[in-house]
Amino acid sequence: MQPELAVGLPAAGAAATVMLRPRPRVALAAGLGLGAAGLAAIVLNDERASNLVGVSLSISPFSRALLIAAAASLAVMVMFAPARTERSVLLAWGLAAIAGMAAVAAAPSLDVVVEIVLAMAILQAATEGKRPIATRLRAPALAAALLAVTLLLARAEGPALLSRFVAVGLVAGLVAAVGLLPYIHEFDPEEATWASPISWIGFAGPVLAVAILARAGDLVQSAGGVLGALLIGIGLVNVVWGTLASWRTASGASAWHYSFMADWGLVLCGLGVPIVEGRSAAVLVFFGLLLGRLPLYIWSRQALRERVQTDHPVNLLVAAMLAGAAPFAGFAARVLLLRSATELFWPLALVLAVTLLFWLPSSLRLGRSLGLPKGRQLAGVSITLAINVAIGLYPEPVLRLAGL
Amino acid sequence: MSAAAAFVVWAGAAAIVLADGRRSLALGLGLIAVGLGAVTWTVAGWPAALLLLIGGGVAAARRLRSGPPGWMFMPPGSTPRLILSIFGGLVALWIAVVVAGGGSAETRYAALVVIGMMVARILLGRDPAMVFTAATAVALAVAAAASLSPADPGLAPYAIAALVAAGTAFLPAASPRAA
Repeated sequence: MQPELAVGLPAAGAAATVMLRPRPRVALAAGLGLGAAGLAAIVLNDERASNLVGVSLSISPFSRALLIAAAASLAVMVMFAPARTERSVLLAWGLAAIAGMAAVAAAPSLDVVVEIVLAMAILQAATEGKRPIATRLRAPALAAALLAVTLLLARAEGPALLSRFVAVGLVAGLVAAVGLLPYIHEFDPEEATWASPISWIGFAGPVLAVAILARAGDLVQSAGGVLGALLIGIGLVNVVWGTLASWRTASGASAWHYSFMADWGLVLCGLGVPIVEGRSAAVLVFFGLLLGRLPLYIWSRQALRERVQTDHPVNLLVAAMLAGAAPFAGFAARVLLLRSATELFWPLALVLAVTLLFWLPSSLRLGRSLGLPKGRQLAGVSITLAINVAIGLYPEPVLRLAGL
Repeated sequence: MSAAAAFVVWAGAAAIVLADGRRSLALGLGLIAVGLGAVTWTVAGWPAALLLLIGGGVAAARRLRSGPPGWMFMPPGSTPRLILSIFGGLVALWIAVVVAGGGSAETRYAALVVIGMMVARILLGRDPAMVFTAATAVALAVAAAASLSPADPGLAPYAIAALVAAGTAFLPAASPRAA
């Protein structure tokens, strides 16, 4: 019954928060209560399939770990939200996204995943935002279409080349849904986070990627190598593009957007390497993304609007965390990734090692753009740093949670 | 019957590509729902077909009440859209019949033509009514494509597609605003 509750309780929490919005405290309490119950359902979920609503639902350990990280990230962001952010709205959209992500994770087939992605995209496009509706719906709809056409090709009889096209379609659909190169979602720095592409690349994307790639094995049986090579190739391009653009772009908010792309580049490389250490690296980068980069982006928005840049110790610590320096989670991820790449093909490790240097200038810039956090934000930044240090020093519990 | 239904699906997709008015969009969506329902019936049985028909029917009925008024069929500057609707149909036919073999070519064609033409419409369009109509059609086509799965997909894809289609029709389309 846990998969159904993991979807239903956050959805109910989102609905309750929206309906009680005129009374913010009650809305927040209702949302947090139902969200916590949903998190409990996710934590208690085992791998056994449940068939309560006539559909066989099960959540894999990998997806479960990412759902827990996303829920923790949402809790941190809501509890330590910037002063100008309406916490009940942030909570409502976060819970709606978690319900969608849990549905994606528990979906019995890729067809259902595509339908849920489309539903999430339509719902997000219907909200108030700065970009036109068509612009917001464009990339996720393209992703759904690419994945649907891929499924059609995978189920047809045809030349052997067709299975390679299936691999290309899967990667293209994944990249379009998340918003990576070559399908970067249009970004408006002034748009609310829940209506912006950050909600895909920084929040819903990890579970979606795992859901798509977990079902890819059956579709690309003879083209598994092509799939891995494509993931590594696209990953490297995103690492280079993301780090350089994050360093050189004029807009501070865009720099954060590009930095998410760079992290995703590492994730794709890790998922493309057919060694368990590659996947372990991807899990750790995902945790860093959800529990580090995303909350820090939310807290930096005020300073970005006011164009404040500071060079205090906290800014340097944040920069070190974003750059993947020891002892933060990113360091352990990079070590695992380099080790797995060396085992697969040592020149790949060499290329990765060189690209890792690109993180330094962009991370210093992003660290400065946080401004000088005070009060609630300082507490939030401290918690984020502490979580990342804990994962970096002892990643074993996280990896075990993800079934690795 | 399946071939005729696939042609009806193409006609519905062409109507959405060629027109901007709510009557045309509703007609296109209705034709797509009927056509996809029919091709799905032959592969997955009547419950799946009925779900697609209900979802698409509700969406089409609601579309008649919102969006740009009238038909607005082939407004000035529609030549690229006309070319898209003809060549989109031909390319989908080539892929469904020649490139990808196996049975149920009509279902494959119907799903491909809707997905291809509707995504092109979303990429080229701006009006919320049109974009949501195209997204609804994609949801129905994805469900129809699920009927080709070697394993029995159950009714989940069709039920979710019907919910997405009907739900989208009731969504208020918020216009962009300053932060």
